[in-house]
Amino acid sequence: MDLLRRSWTIVWKDLLIEARTKQAFNAMVFFAALVLFIFSFALGPDTALLQQVSGGLLWVGIAFTGILSLNRTYQSEETSGGIEGLRVYPGDPRAIYLGKLFGNIIILLAVEMVLFPAAAVLFQIQLLPHALELAGVAILGTIGFSIVGTFYAALTVNLRAREVMLPLLLFPALIPMLLGAVNATTLIVVGDPMLDSGIWIRLLVAFDVIFFVISLWIFPIALEE
Amino acid sequence: MSSIRLNNWHVGWNSSRAQEAAITPTSDPGSAVELVGFSKRFGWNRVLRGIDLRVDRGTTLALVGPNGAGKTTLLKCLATLLQPSDGAGTVCGFDLRKEGDAIRERVGLVTVRGYVYDDLTAEENLRFSARMSGLKLEPDEYRAALARVGLERVADQRVRTFSTGMRKRVVLAQLRIRPLELALLDEPYAGLDTQGMALVDEFVREFRETGTTVIIASHQAGEATRAAEQTLILKNGKLSPMDHDEAARSHLSFDSLGASEV
Amino acid sequence: MTSKSGLANVIGIAALALFLAGSFVGLFVVPADGMQGDIQRLMYVHVPAAWLAFLSFFVVFLMSVLYLIQRDLRWDRVAQSSAEIGVVFTVLTLALGSMWGKPTWGVWWTWDPRLTTTAIMLAIYVGYLAIRSFADDPDKRARWAAIVGIIGFANVPIVYLSVIWWRTLHQPPSSPRSVSPEILWTLMFNLAAFTVIYVYLMMRRIRLAKLEGELEQRMAYHG
Repeated sequence: MDLLRRSWTIVWKDLLIEARTKQAFNAMVFFAALVLFIFSFALGPDTALLQQVSGGLLWVGIAFTGILSLNRTYQSEETSGGIEGLRVYPGDPRAIYLGKLFGNIIILLAVEMVLFPAAAVLFQIQLLPHALELAGVAILGTIGFSIVGTFYAALTVNLRAREVMLPLLLFPALIPMLLGAVNATTLIVVGDPMLDSGIWIRLLVAFDVIFFVISLWIFPIALEE
Repeated sequence: MSSIRLNNWHVGWNSSRAQEAAITPTSDPGSAVELVGFSKRFGWNRVLRGIDLRVDRGTTLALVGPNGAGKTTLLKCLATLLQPSDGAGTVCGFDLRKEGDAIRERVGLVTVRGYVYDDLTAEENLRFSARMSGLKLEPDEYRAALARVGLERVADQRVRTFSTGMRKRVVLAQLRIRPLELALLDEPYAGLDTQGMALVDEFVREFRETGTTVIIASHQAGEATRAAEQTLILKNGKLSPMDHDEAARSHLSFDSLGASEV
Repeated sequence: MTSKSGLANVIGIAALALFLAGSFVGLFVVPADGMQGDIQRLMYVHVPAAWLAFLSFFVVFLMSVLYLIQRDLRWDRVAQSSAEIGVVFTVLTLALGSMWGKPTWGVWWTWDPRLTTTAIMLAIYVGYLAIRSFADDPDKRARWAAIVGIIGFANVPIVYLSVIWWRTLHQPPSSPRSVSPEILWTLMFNLAAFTVIYVYLMMRRIRLAKLEGELEQRMAYHG
């Protein structure tokens, strides 16, 4: 489909540029690890406590790191004439949203591949026995974060106080996703005798679907000039 | 004398009626651009005020005017990057408000700086442009396109290392690989040396030969602008035919022939 | 124009009268709840304030949709007014909820679903008003605000459901059977009174927004 092909072209372009400049990825990994380290430092050596809150800390770390990625999403268009450079082509402008969305998901997931092991070490949690479920939660949560984040990033890209407006708009909108991801992760890691994680995973899926539809639908209006 | 033709339009002086009743300018196959009462404002700043314009297919329009007059805005509107605030228009027979996609398929825009990515090579930029336009080309077609603009030796170098002129040539190559009905050139001569300007003139000549309509917004005179069938001045948001006093006042020097001697 | 402001005045007086009557009854006439004591009387302001906070936000949502469809700035003015009034009532709801919570549960704040959702809604409201301050162009401003308003409102039910799954501390909604008829009627009366207050405030604020718009337009042409 033409829409997907054009989205993929944008992803290809962004990942290629990222691979060459390595700006965002390195900064993000560093920042994420630092955040986790500070958390574990601040909470002290109580292993039981760290394990209980590990899910929350991990996802807060991912959220903060994700914001860095989002800021960069449309920034990278700046030197090449802004987002006009993408809007000037024929085809559904939603390809821009999809392209940026996939790009963000890929980069964030790449960072998480470093982050989860780091968390395992710092918070003394066992990840390997539940690797598959955790991967599932990570993917669903990252997708949810990126769906809403990519949209709001497009909206705030030209604002003067972008760095404040993006978190201000984004975080309230992310609450359901955070609840789902944090609770599912914690339950998987700490133990889930009553299999409650199912509820949270369903919440994540619902969140992802609902906001994907809404964002995709409204995106062209956000791009209007 | 005036380039305004109002055949078949039932437009009252209230141009927003034109928009509501979908009374569009006639989609006459002979017209590349038709604007009726076209306005564009940013907030309360009215950049384009009630412009009427017709450009016949295959012809060239030279647009002159002082800095900030709105030439770039007009070109961007025609490229559907900006939505009209008022009035109606068609490009290549398609409505500006509702059929933007069809317009973008047929129109190419060259801006002053160009939509080019510094960290991609010349060829990659071309490939990106082609794919986003829905084209699939062979690698040697990209090479050929770059050779056409004299960049075949630096095809695999990142654009970051290019001079302004070389960058501009990448932009021209991007324009050239697409089949176009209308080419919009914003200050095409800017930043180019004699050879570069000759290249622009060549391209415009080729466009004219293949029946592509060309609109050039330029401070500088060149062979392409001199060959234009229509020359209009954009001033205070309004279009008017050019007269030579006007030209002098808007600092347009048709005397700078040296730049475009071929 | 005079008849409109005349109507607003009438409604304003009615609002004031209803509010005073409702407060009087709530404070002095109706007997206090057996278990909670006098602090329960806060409910007569807290519940209507909460109702208005959500109603205001719903109006913001509706107006945002209407604006995006019709691009008429009138809808945007209504949305803006409703958002501003809604913020006030949201803060009031939270403050009163907090005040009520201290003697009842012993804490200033709990993560119960309704309070939490209200707090998040406040954040969304603030975001809505904040993004308006960044655009000078009234059409752009209206468009951005409308987008934020729509997504923000869509979020509220989802947040509410999530937090319910997460916590269940709040009082289950008082069903008519478990509450004495006098308390119920007083509550309904106050609800009506507050709704009239909302209408009055909206009328005034919308008119003000219209004047602000005209002033903006004039300054732009002469400035």
